[in-house]
Amino acid sequence: MKHFNEEELVEYHYGESDSAAEIKQHVRECAICGAAYLALSRDLSEIVAITPPTRDANYGEQIWQSIRSSVQVYEAPKKQRFGWLQLHLTHGFAAATFLLVLAAAFFAGRRWEHRNPQTPTVTSNTSDSNGRERVVLVVLGDHLDRSERLLVELKHAEPSTEAPMQAEARELLSANRLYRESVKQSDPALAAALDHLERVLIEVSNEPAGLSQVRLDELQKEMNTDGLLFEVRVLRSRVQGDVEQKGSAVATNKGVSI
Amino acid sequence: MEGNDHEIVRAVLAGDKDAYGALVARHSQNVFRVAYRITGDEADADEVVQEAFLRGYQRLESFESRSEFGTWIYRIAVNCALNMINKRKVEATYQIGEETDPSQHQVQVADSAASPERSLLSREIEALQRTAMRSLTATEKTAFILRHMEGRNTTEIADALHIAPNAAKQAVFRAVQKLRRSLAPLRVTL
Repeated sequence: MKHFNEEELVEYHYGESDSAAEIKQHVRECAICGAAYLALSRDLSEIVAITPPTRDANYGEQIWQSIRSSVQVYEAPKKQRFGWLQLHLTHGFAAATFLLVLAAAFFAGRRWEHRNPQTPTVTSNTSDSNGRERVVLVVLGDHLDRSERLLVELKHAEPSTEAPMQAEARELLSANRLYRESVKQSDPALAAALDHLERVLIEVSNEPAGLSQVRLDELQKEMNTDGLLFEVRVLRSRVQGDVEQKGSAVATNKGVSI
Repeated sequence: MEGNDHEIVRAVLAGDKDAYGALVARHSQNVFRVAYRITGDEADADEVVQEAFLRGYQRLESFESRSEFGTWIYRIAVNCALNMINKRKVEATYQIGEETDPSQHQVQVADSAASPERSLLSREIEALQRTAMRSLTATEKTAFILRHMEGRNTTEIADALHIAPNAAKQAVFRAVQKLRRSLAPLRVTL
């Protein structure tokens, strides 16, 4: 008689065994496997499902509102009549244009070489600019990282009369003002988040006698620090993405800048 | 917004950003449930829900219309929750108390009649169960929760965890073994 091991019985218990009929028959007839299966079933039946706390009917709306400002509108694909025909024409036209440009570039290049003997010159403005932007983004990323850590600390803070959090907030505050001003025009979403962050930093850094539990609760409630924490996380990951993008752009430009 | 999920996805991709709110409203409770079961913490579960829907929006173009949005976002949420417990080692949130001495539990299980003692016993079992959960790795715990509490099959677990079906099956089995070992003291007096 072939006995079944625990792994096979677990599979059978969850209804995923390939030999379900065989095992069913066996556990009826075999005292050892029957007892083993009974014990397994009893143990598993006592592991109760964790009941999550209830979320009200507006929960979905709250979640959507919390992420809404972090997502961008998708661009609608343009509808085209006779799309298949246009596709063929477009492809044909693109191929012809490409060949024409290639030929023109080849001949222009040959003529240019004859007129101007090649000398290596540094034309790395784009590369430099990308490099600078990357440095700015790295610094900004670092700032957001530190801010995130402060907000996490704040979230889990115990009432205290010590002031290390205040000192960190003060340091971050001056840098935050600079970043907020510099991105005000170019990135309103980032500027708005930095503005929110600045208000929290001001509150934290201006607490003269440490943070009491009441004050911590007030801060978390009034300033929506949880929402801000999420916002900062999203921005940090976006800035991180930009850094990587710029990094690869700089790397690509390096090969052609001379 | 009315309509099925696929219509809403098409509307979002066509530029109607707010239509996504309807998808969030429709699936957020499910996503929260699994996120909470995996992370064991309300705030973490809320964060997982936010992150899952945010990622879902950002990757909506890769959503294939032959699958169900609910299943797709569920998988993303499981992944986010797994990352969360990996990152924070959130097993600690399952803590009920410091009591870990198995010998203490041996005398606490006796009567199966409904009584104050019985409800106390249930709490004891839950506490021990949570402690036992902490002995699992993040993958084992997630696989077990998906199998035992969410009723997902091996293929679905493997998809959600991005592992091979056999690895998913093994993870569930290891979890069952460890949990049974941890809960064994309850059996002594039965």
